[in-house]
Amino acid sequence: MQERNISANNFEQCQKCSICETVCPVMANNPAYAGPKRSGPDGERYRLKNGIFFEDSLKYCLNCKRCEVACPSGVRVADLIQQARIDYGRKLPKLRDTMLASTDQVGPLASAFAPIANFSLGLAPVKGVMHLALGVDRHRTLPKYASETFVRWFKKNAEDKQAQYSKHISYYHGCYANYNYPQLGKDFVAVMNAFGYGVHLIEGERCCGVAKIANGMIEAATRDARTNVDLFRESVKAGREIVTVSTTCTMTLLEEYPTLLKVGNDQVRDHIHLVERFLWKAIASGEVKPVWKEDWKARAAYHCPCHQERLGLGIFTMELMKMIPGMELTELESNCCGIAGTYGFKKENYKVSQAIGKPLFDDIAAAAPEFVVCECETCKWQIEMSTGVPVKNPVSILADALDLDKTAILNKPTK
Amino acid sequence: MKFDVIVIGGGLAGMTAAEALQSAGLKCAVIAEGLSLHNAPRNAFRAAGGTLLAGDRVTGGDFDGDRLVRVHTEKLGDVALEAGAFVLATGKYFSKGIVADMDKVYEPLFGLDVEYDADRSGWFDPSFAAPQRFLEFGVKAEDGRALKDGKPLANVYPAGEVLAGICGAQGDATETIRKSGLDAADAIRRAR
Amino acid sequence: MPVKNEFDVIVIGGGITGAGTARDCAMRGLKVLLIERNDIATGATGRNHGLLHSGARYAVKDSESAEECIRENKILREIASNCVEDTGGLFITLPEDEESGYGLDYQSKFLEACTKAGIEARAISPKEAIEMEPSVNPALIGAVVVPDGSVDPFRLCAANVTDAAMHGAKVLVYTEFLDFLREGDTILGVKVLDTRTGQKAEYRAPVTVNAAGIWGHGVAEKAGVHIGMYPAKGALLVFGHRVNNVVINRCRKSADGDILVPGDSVTVIGTTSTKVPFEECDHMEVTPDEVRLLLREGCALCPALADTRILRAYAGVRPLVADDSDPTGRSISRGIVCLDHETRDGLKGFVSITGGKLMTYRLMAELATDTVCRKLGVNKTCNTAHTPLPGSMDGRIETVSKRFEGGATAGQKGAAGRQGDLVGKIRFESEEDRKLICECENVTLAEIKYAVRELGVRNLGDLRRRTRVGMGTCQGTFCIRKAAKALAEALGQPELADKLAADYLDERWKGMRAVGWGDTLREMEFMQRVYKSGKPYSYDEV
Repeated sequence: MQERNISANNFEQCQKCSICETVCPVMANNPAYAGPKRSGPDGERYRLKNGIFFEDSLKYCLNCKRCEVACPSGVRVADLIQQARIDYGRKLPKLRDTMLASTDQVGPLASAFAPIANFSLGLAPVKGVMHLALGVDRHRTLPKYASETFVRWFKKNAEDKQAQYSKHISYYHGCYANYNYPQLGKDFVAVMNAFGYGVHLIEGERCCGVAKIANGMIEAATRDARTNVDLFRESVKAGREIVTVSTTCTMTLLEEYPTLLKVGNDQVRDHIHLVERFLWKAIASGEVKPVWKEDWKARAAYHCPCHQERLGLGIFTMELMKMIPGMELTELESNCCGIAGTYGFKKENYKVSQAIGKPLFDDIAAAAPEFVVCECETCKWQIEMSTGVPVKNPVSILADALDLDKTAILNKPTK
Repeated sequence: MKFDVIVIGGGLAGMTAAEALQSAGLKCAVIAEGLSLHNAPRNAFRAAGGTLLAGDRVTGGDFDGDRLVRVHTEKLGDVALEAGAFVLATGKYFSKGIVADMDKVYEPLFGLDVEYDADRSGWFDPSFAAPQRFLEFGVKAEDGRALKDGKPLANVYPAGEVLAGICGAQGDATETIRKSGLDAADAIRRAR
Repeated sequence: MPVKNEFDVIVIGGGITGAGTARDCAMRGLKVLLIERNDIATGATGRNHGLLHSGARYAVKDSESAEECIRENKILREIASNCVEDTGGLFITLPEDEESGYGLDYQSKFLEACTKAGIEARAISPKEAIEMEPSVNPALIGAVVVPDGSVDPFRLCAANVTDAAMHGAKVLVYTEFLDFLREGDTILGVKVLDTRTGQKAEYRAPVTVNAAGIWGHGVAEKAGVHIGMYPAKGALLVFGHRVNNVVINRCRKSADGDILVPGDSVTVIGTTSTKVPFEECDHMEVTPDEVRLLLREGCALCPALADTRILRAYAGVRPLVADDSDPTGRSISRGIVCLDHETRDGLKGFVSITGGKLMTYRLMAELATDTVCRKLGVNKTCNTAHTPLPGSMDGRIETVSKRFEGGATAGQKGAAGRQGDLVGKIRFESEEDRKLICECENVTLAEIKYAVRELGVRNLGDLRRRTRVGMGTCQGTFCIRKAAKALAEALGQPELADKLAADYLDERWKGMRAVGWGDTLREMEFMQRVYKSGKPYSYDEV
């Protein structure tokens, strides 16, 4: 018997205050989008009455989750929208969407032929074909594929050395570090090793699934999610916590698995750690000790990516970066860069994507930092393409600012 | 993670208190479930170097006698936030500073004492335009400190609409709310 | 002095019975005047479940009512497709019903009675019942499927009034019956008061029909005849969304809170039954005890209700014909009472139609109209059972929505659901017209203009009954001011906006007060803030 009149139906907690509409970057730039309140809780109520009320315009939601951060009622607005797209919008994804989304299937092929792939992806006629035939906007610089994946590099150069450490973690590298930017993975290994952690791959790790979810490939995403959760469970059993670098992957593993894909992660969720939080805790508790390069200096600006806002863990990045003595760090006003993973790559979204990012680009121009600190790989593409200012991952910054050798000596277990 | 003051609630009262304290050199964090409409004090607080935990939610706290030692949040998990003083600026029903059941009104975070009418029949006036009694309900305070089980807590300072008698829903109470935020900040500075 | 009759028949009461009677009379060629002291559908018509009964509920106790119900059920599906939704219904048996003598033995008796009354009913397993309606109490031990549905009583009443008017009837709303014009033992017509202008008027007709529901008791008294009526209050609760998609009933003797109906965008649980004094019929409040009882019984049908937001509470009065021997009013037949006061009381020119229920309104209207025709010496047959109502020629939202080129917007789909095939009359001419005024219920400015232009809307309550404006989760917090402005402008009286808004806020407030805790109380605080904080609610200026 109910005494509380507090709904367990999350969408019903919406009081219609509409604050989500004020933070929605799409609504401000695309009149075809009805906005988070109407697409989410309002729409949900009518969809429950009759599926005919499902609107095609839900596809314009870029799933930045800013509505959820802003909501005073705890409504999972963006989840409602993604869920509706899954439940009602069952149309076959376009070839283009499949290509953009299947990061771990296209990735291996592209890496094998990286010089050719990168060369042709950069050619104007090829871009024109992709723009017209596939709907990938011609203005986009497509992410380059590395000729040697991180995993291949790791197996060749690092794997053997990991046994010497007394503490061990599993590294969920994600697609980006593996296929597009192995240097990030290398930096991660260097930093972790210096702090005395042996790094282990999660053999058989799959893409987190965020791009597949965004492009309607739910069955494939669910399969990947199940595989990943099983692998994480094995890692936990082996006594290794799972450390992640990508904010978007982390949000997907922690939040989207149980809510959207209905893949339970209860047994592993407390063992999945975003690297900044993991290291801040380790340093703050004195478990590990950093030795910083004495002459390292930088003037940087922190851009908190949308999914980090949603995770609410940006505070750890800020606090970790502030530990570096030579770091002069300002925090940029919280704004979406506009790329939202594969969203901004689509021809129909390009203009909106750039319009959304403009306030952030202007802020960066005004702050004129040497580089932008940001945990997100797609933000990096967008900000670098749009402002020319380099974007560095906090892990890469640590790899640069730490005196790795001295740190390694200091953190060597005394036997 | 340690701060001098933690402000729970990012509305007008909370942000006003936080900005005053941060500008006075205290290290402050604001935990704000949901975005506040009040951009000015928020921007000032951020410009002064304050820490804003947007979209996070306090789930509870640990007491040592009559002192609140630390609070836990939904997003930060096992990293608790410690502080010497806490401002409770969680608002009324809408922002869940107080919660109403069928027959009682309570403060959900720390079980503070709440002033309300036990008899529901007096909560509402049939005329929408008339003053509404339920909007007067709120947390009880003594000398600026929140009451729990009839006794004032040592370091929990309620501010704004969470307090009994302060309400911005029936007329413009901006100045009262702002002042209550400043009063909490003053009381904290005096106590240090 | 010869008296000139302006009308053939005057119908008192703009509820579903009066509306149906006016339609039937007008379709048979009579000159009809319909008077209603408020808006149409403001009495019991607008204050019930909105259940399209299969008749199963009455099958065991009252086979006559049951047979009437299933016949009318089938007719309404044909003539009122825009007002009816074929949800299907379940009668469930719970473990505790065994103890009270309404277990599976009763279910067999129930099935048999349904079949006898012509109601297609079949028993299914608990597992099948859960598959059919996942929100049903999983503890059930038996279930019977029946052809229940939901019906929108506002829409149904409005469609009858519209059709009456299309057949030449004059409809006067906000026109209160004051007294009869009478000469000896003959009723000559009525004296009325226009409640908005304060003007009095007289209308004459050889026959006057009393179709005033519970208020028909007082109308009859004015004619000096007595109908022993029984005001039975029934309270109901509205939940925030469609919790169930199939009607859920309890398979036992009719009791409080044992029907859960999905209607439009909400779910309604009801009802209670309490005898109330006639004086209370005009201002009913739902009590905390009634709310508790409805929640307790509702949760037994559908446990999810325990964690679903309650939007509001309301109550209506059933116009039952009293039987002083039963204090609960439950065992009274819901049978139709059609009285020709000439044969009953020796009073000429006066007919009362009462008792019955929403489901049998058409049959009640037919009986009343037959009586009127007989008295007037008119020999015309009833056609209401075969003639679709306006909006229901092809009233399904799926087909009507397809009329919009380039795909219907949410507002257009909403309108298609409410206005049926009359949606073409809504003029979506400008960007402004397409704008949503009520975002919870998808109501556009164009639909509001249409309602003012063609559906006789005078205030926001009237507008709500025709468009659902302000009926959603925010109960008008976000739309009342906008809707009041749009309505006042459409009425050509922009200065009315504040008054319209204030009246409607009081009405919404009343329904929310009864369930004012939890999330509903949050909304109530917010509503106060939006309208009373001294500044218009806008993010731009903070």
